[in-house]
Amino acid sequence: MKQAQSSPTLNIGFVSKWNWREIRHGQLWPITAATTLIIACVFALAALVIRVESVMTAQGRDTLAADLVLKSGHPISEDIARTSALQQLTLSQSINFRTMAFVGDNMQLVSVKAKDSLYPLRGQLRLAGAQQKQQLEAGEVWLQTRLLDLLETKVGDTISLGDADFVISGVIAQDPELSFNPFSQMPTVLMHLSDAEKTGAIQPGGRLTYQWYFTGADDALTTLKQSHSLGPSQRWLDQNSQSRTGDFINRAQQYLSLTLIMVILMSGATIVLTSQHFAASRQQSVAMMKSLGASKKWLAYWLVMQVAALFVLALAAGLSLGLLLEWALRLPIQDMLPSPLPNIGFQPALVAVAVALFVLLPAMAIAILNILATPATSLSQSSQVHKAPLYLRLTIGLVPFAALMFWFGDNRFMWLTLVGIAVMLLMLGALGLLIVKLLKNLTFGPAMTLAVSRMARSIGATSSQLAALTCSLMLLAVIWLLRSDVLADWQSTLPANAPNVFAANIDPHLKQDYVDFLDQAQIDHSAAYPVIRGRITHSNQSLLSENPDINQDSALKRELNFTWQQDLPDQNQVVAGTWMPSSGVSVERNIANRLNIQLGDQLRFEVNSIGINATVTSIRTVEWRNMKPNFYFIFSPDLLADLPSTWLLSFRLTEQQDGIVTQLARQFATVTLLDLRAAATQIQGMLQQIALSLTVLAGLGVLSGLLLVVTLLRLSLNQRQQEIKLYRTLGASRKRISATLWSEYGLLAILAGLMAVVGAELVIALVMHFGFELPMQWHPGLWLALPVLAMAAVFTIIRTMIKGLLRPITA
Amino acid sequence: MAVSASPLVINATGVCKDVTTADTQLNILQDINLKIESGESVALVGVSGAGKSTLMTLLAGLDVPTKGNIELLGQDITSLDDEARAALRSDAISFVFQSFLLIPTLTALENVMLPNIIKGQAQKPSRAKELLQQVGLTGREQHTPSQLSGGEQQRVALARAFMSQPQILFADEPTGNLDQQTAATIIELLFALNEQHGTTLVLVTHDHQLAQRCHRTVRVAGGKLVIA
Repeated sequence: MKQAQSSPTLNIGFVSKWNWREIRHGQLWPITAATTLIIACVFALAALVIRVESVMTAQGRDTLAADLVLKSGHPISEDIARTSALQQLTLSQSINFRTMAFVGDNMQLVSVKAKDSLYPLRGQLRLAGAQQKQQLEAGEVWLQTRLLDLLETKVGDTISLGDADFVISGVIAQDPELSFNPFSQMPTVLMHLSDAEKTGAIQPGGRLTYQWYFTGADDALTTLKQSHSLGPSQRWLDQNSQSRTGDFINRAQQYLSLTLIMVILMSGATIVLTSQHFAASRQQSVAMMKSLGASKKWLAYWLVMQVAALFVLALAAGLSLGLLLEWALRLPIQDMLPSPLPNIGFQPALVAVAVALFVLLPAMAIAILNILATPATSLSQSSQVHKAPLYLRLTIGLVPFAALMFWFGDNRFMWLTLVGIAVMLLMLGALGLLIVKLLKNLTFGPAMTLAVSRMARSIGATSSQLAALTCSLMLLAVIWLLRSDVLADWQSTLPANAPNVFAANIDPHLKQDYVDFLDQAQIDHSAAYPVIRGRITHSNQSLLSENPDINQDSALKRELNFTWQQDLPDQNQVVAGTWMPSSGVSVERNIANRLNIQLGDQLRFEVNSIGINATVTSIRTVEWRNMKPNFYFIFSPDLLADLPSTWLLSFRLTEQQDGIVTQLARQFATVTLLDLRAAATQIQGMLQQIALSLTVLAGLGVLSGLLLVVTLLRLSLNQRQQEIKLYRTLGASRKRISATLWSEYGLLAILAGLMAVVGAELVIALVMHFGFELPMQWHPGLWLALPVLAMAAVFTIIRTMIKGLLRPITA
Repeated sequence: MAVSASPLVINATGVCKDVTTADTQLNILQDINLKIESGESVALVGVSGAGKSTLMTLLAGLDVPTKGNIELLGQDITSLDDEARAALRSDAISFVFQSFLLIPTLTALENVMLPNIIKGQAQKPSRAKELLQQVGLTGREQHTPSQLSGGEQQRVALARAFMSQPQILFADEPTGNLDQQTAATIIELLFALNEQHGTTLVLVTHDHQLAQRCHRTVRVAGGKLVIA
């Protein structure tokens, strides 16, 4: 007889139509939705990270006046200029030095910055009265307003700098390098590099700082950096060297990746659960088709086509949703983003697809293998569930773990979170069972008694359902509350009324007048701090500069700002020792670590050639982000109060209060005003943007959690379908069945809700403490919200499914 | 009722089937010898658990015996692997099941065309429509199983069974899920189509009346054959 071999040929049009129906009607939509969510979230996050990094880079580079700067105490080798030219980089050179400036009888020590005409390569150099950016030409000399006041001079006058005379040609309104240095005591003069020689300051052995600025392709910059080994007085500066916003961004990124992991976990769980149900529901159809002669190859082809169709659908929906999200997130910061917008490229899409495949493929592969393992004989035999061999399922199941290993590698924080979740699942399951057992001994109405005894009887099902439901509720609560806590922390460190103007170099006799002026103008200001410049020289009688471990630290190479205080400043926290015995100094924790300073150490400082000895009486943490005056070293008043000092404070001005700036500059001419309004607005704008992103991603996280909860409940009710239909067939009233379902699932929801609250509080406390290093707090609202949310989910699911469940068994 | 000597389509000799459970070994079938000729209709009867469904799965090549031989359409199925047996079924064998087993996401017409779809052959919608007409479902072609009654679903299953022009049709309790009146209609249709297509029919049933309509009744009791 002829041996017709069943072929895997499928009519594509017909199969596409069939697949679409299978996805719509055949339990495949939760898998599609979960995959879509994974793709959209991963895509939006990856794109967001690229965008935010580009904003940060652009901002950092603007402050740096270049993409990369080489700072050197000695002339820089011309080899670097050659490498730079080879790499097609733009190079701008400068020399900074100090010299005396004279105008008539007035003199002042100034900081001269001699730049070439290309400066600045990034950011803006602007003269007062000019609208557009400008660049220096030979013969031009520009001064800071403060210097004009100090020398009692004006534009057009002649100024002597060292050995040469120049005509003052402009007043500096904006210089990228001046943006973030409130402590620059010395007024600045800008001149052209070619004129520097004339001043006579460029002498061998003179205190000169050479700065070379580079811009160009990132690869070329890296090559340049690698080709040059730094001399002892040299260092590279890039956008990360002086970022005030770095810490915010780090926390945001940490939160975003944590949220992403949870979204992937919950969507992954949805996919795994639903794919098992998918396998169970297809086994009979597959057995029937096998009896009709379908080969394994044909069936595999048919099932793979379904998964492929599902994936294509999820891919299209996920990428569209991801693009939409990314676009929406970008809208509010359009002005802050570099123009033209950096291309996000294919990376976000590729990462999204890869992550989705790593979750979807193993789950579906196991499901498909289970389906294919169903023998045709199962049609006439018991309806046991057939499964592919255990070793095969285990091997495939290991794929996502291998991917996790590859992805996270040595990220201890992520592993702790994952292991924590696994342990918590086990503990919650056990705890839930214990509670059910306890409830069994209490007396309730008939429906509740039936529900409790049913839950107590099927221990495995109850504990796994309870653990899964608790975990998903817990994760969605964690995602949402972490977002709120992280945002609240930002709000408290950088509130809407955060200071944005610094006033430094206030003479002691002007201090009270200055504060009075601000008070009269009703301007919020920080406390005024005395500032005394000095160096740290010894620790426990040994010279710090001779300690090879730390003598390269920048804190040892420059003068630092010291202050003295009776009271601990706001947002400073003593982490060791006490505040503030006499003859003591309080040291900021990071610098203490860097210089290896311990509590009780004897430190020696040098202020105006006077030696000062102090014992370390406390170690402090400082909130550097709050735009208030902050100090590494705070002394007890008895040590420094008698030394000459200037004062420093910060205050808040609106964009409209330009008049006050002018008035202050006129009335207190010697005070250095550092106006950071534009920069602060930019930082706050960026934080708002990140906050919005966090909220949107948290929203998606909650959505994937709800999807998991809904899936869990639907699957559980589906498994009960036969039993409920049997009750109905036997004549149980709708009311009776509803009451039983309500009691059982209501109890499940309340238990899961309450346990999820406890779990969430625990996880949030741990993550806030160890992950974000932020204070822990309780969330009373959660104790009500989570059980109510769980009950609402149960209510909705039972309402939508009860009609189908109550249909009696028919022929 | 004997039938003139026609070629054998099924020849089972010394067939045994054992099933090993966790702690015991069950002898479901013992030393079964059965010959079925082309065009014959044979009823397998017996009480529940007697082994008649298991015998049917062996005769149809869905499974292989633990001992003995079964020649199905001239081929020894014990020498064929899963895929070769699937190919044999696809070519010459059809089934009607107690629980209809239609694909819920396909229409009546598509369910009937399924054997051809599986074989990768032309779908032949006109032939499928003709079969649906023969089982009295004209106008219901685009309805899905959930829109059809139990009897209607079994009629679709009957049409599907004859779509591939099988040489042998196995029917496992085809009326088991239906009320008496519907069952009677289905039986009429089954025998009419069987006669029209000249198919060999192997019927598993509890129903004596149904069994009596077959050429021959074979009783299975305690895993052994008792010729009625």
